[in-house]
Amino acid sequence: MEFFFPANITEAISLLAERDGARCLAGGATLVAMMNAGLVEPFRLVSLRGFSELGGINVLSDSTVRLGAMTRHAETANSTLLKDGQRVLSAAAGKIANPPVRNMGTIGGSLAFADPAADYLPALMTLDAVIELAAQGSTRRLSIRDLIVDWYTTALEPGEIITAIEVPPAPRGSVGIFEKLERTAGDYAIVSIACVLAFEKGICSTARIAVGACGPGPVRIRELEAKLEGTRAEPDAFLAIGESLAAECGPVDDVRATADYRRLVIPRLVAKAATHARAALGAQS
Amino acid sequence: MKGERLVELTVNGRGRAVRATPEATLLTVLRDELTLTGAKRGCNQGVCGACTVLVDGRAVRSCLSLALNVVGQEITTIEGLAQSGRLLPLQQSLLSLGAVQCGFCMSGMLVSAFALLQRSPNPTRDETRAALSGNLCRCSGYSKIVDAVCNVGEVTVP
Repeated sequence: MEFFFPANITEAISLLAERDGARCLAGGATLVAMMNAGLVEPFRLVSLRGFSELGGINVLSDSTVRLGAMTRHAETANSTLLKDGQRVLSAAAGKIANPPVRNMGTIGGSLAFADPAADYLPALMTLDAVIELAAQGSTRRLSIRDLIVDWYTTALEPGEIITAIEVPPAPRGSVGIFEKLERTAGDYAIVSIACVLAFEKGICSTARIAVGACGPGPVRIRELEAKLEGTRAEPDAFLAIGESLAAECGPVDDVRATADYRRLVIPRLVAKAATHARAALGAQS
Repeated sequence: MKGERLVELTVNGRGRAVRATPEATLLTVLRDELTLTGAKRGCNQGVCGACTVLVDGRAVRSCLSLALNVVGQEITTIEGLAQSGRLLPLQQSLLSLGAVQCGFCMSGMLVSAFALLQRSPNPTRDETRAALSGNLCRCSGYSKIVDAVCNVGEVTVP
């Protein structure tokens, strides 16, 4: 195996494009684990650690928060730059694995691997995040919805890397809640729910709910959310939305739970997220 | 070995020349090249925590770090925590409270606890449990480990 430590992003991209079987090394939390298990044998590794262009969290002029692809989970979890409903992203980051892994793993690496149970996916879905990709001589932007195309499969082309994640501002006064059902702290989710909610004078003004770990990608259905907006959005309404979401998800049986169990849990977890959102909104006002 | 390179790693404050292949993890190099066998190879998947070391002051998995990728960073292993043979209050606390049984998890547990105490010198039990959530112990049952970390301020080092 070849190992390169490029000094900038242009060099990194050309090293990746140069030959098949080249992979970029971000935090290593997944790639090195898979190498250790003999599941992947990259022909060439290109480290993204040697330059700062892919790091850091910045706020753009329109209050969009831009996270470099190499931003570690710990940094995202602790960032105070994410505001209002954007906090669903920091909440999700703080639930990934455990502290040492959060010091290693990166948001770009997590998205590129596209594990359906990854905590970021439903959170970014509720935030309508935009993923910036770069290849030799070109860049493009994809919605998170378009990035994830199937189980463990993204729209990334060979020689293309994720450079940044942009999170548009959430409605002022909204809250972001991440509920994760896990066998034990730090495990992958059995089911995860990301939700961004806002109320104005007791009426729901924003409702965004996404389900993770129950199909090839996160499931979010705008028509269902719209049924909550403009209403008082009582707890029963969230249960009903959760049941509709469960019907649209495609969970499978695996070592963590059966598909039936996941479908059973989704509505309850949606309701729980809504209860926590209400409590957080109450505490704010 | 194919692709083997001679590089210098900074380990416990000293520059150490090592030979490493691109696939070699930091854990392998620490144990097999530098005979720093405190960090243990448990799962080799980043789950068990027995291999935890500090890189630039942050607790990370040495089994998920490639040796060639940590060149230029400060690596601290369990062997580098006690200075001049004097135990840290944290180490003394674990010893005094009988928190160590088989000891396999203890190097990683200590490094994670050390990182916690660096940022939070008087952690609560919940903080401690969260900080150690990535370090599995299969024999002590955790209670005494958490006690020892939370009581570290009350320990007198002989």
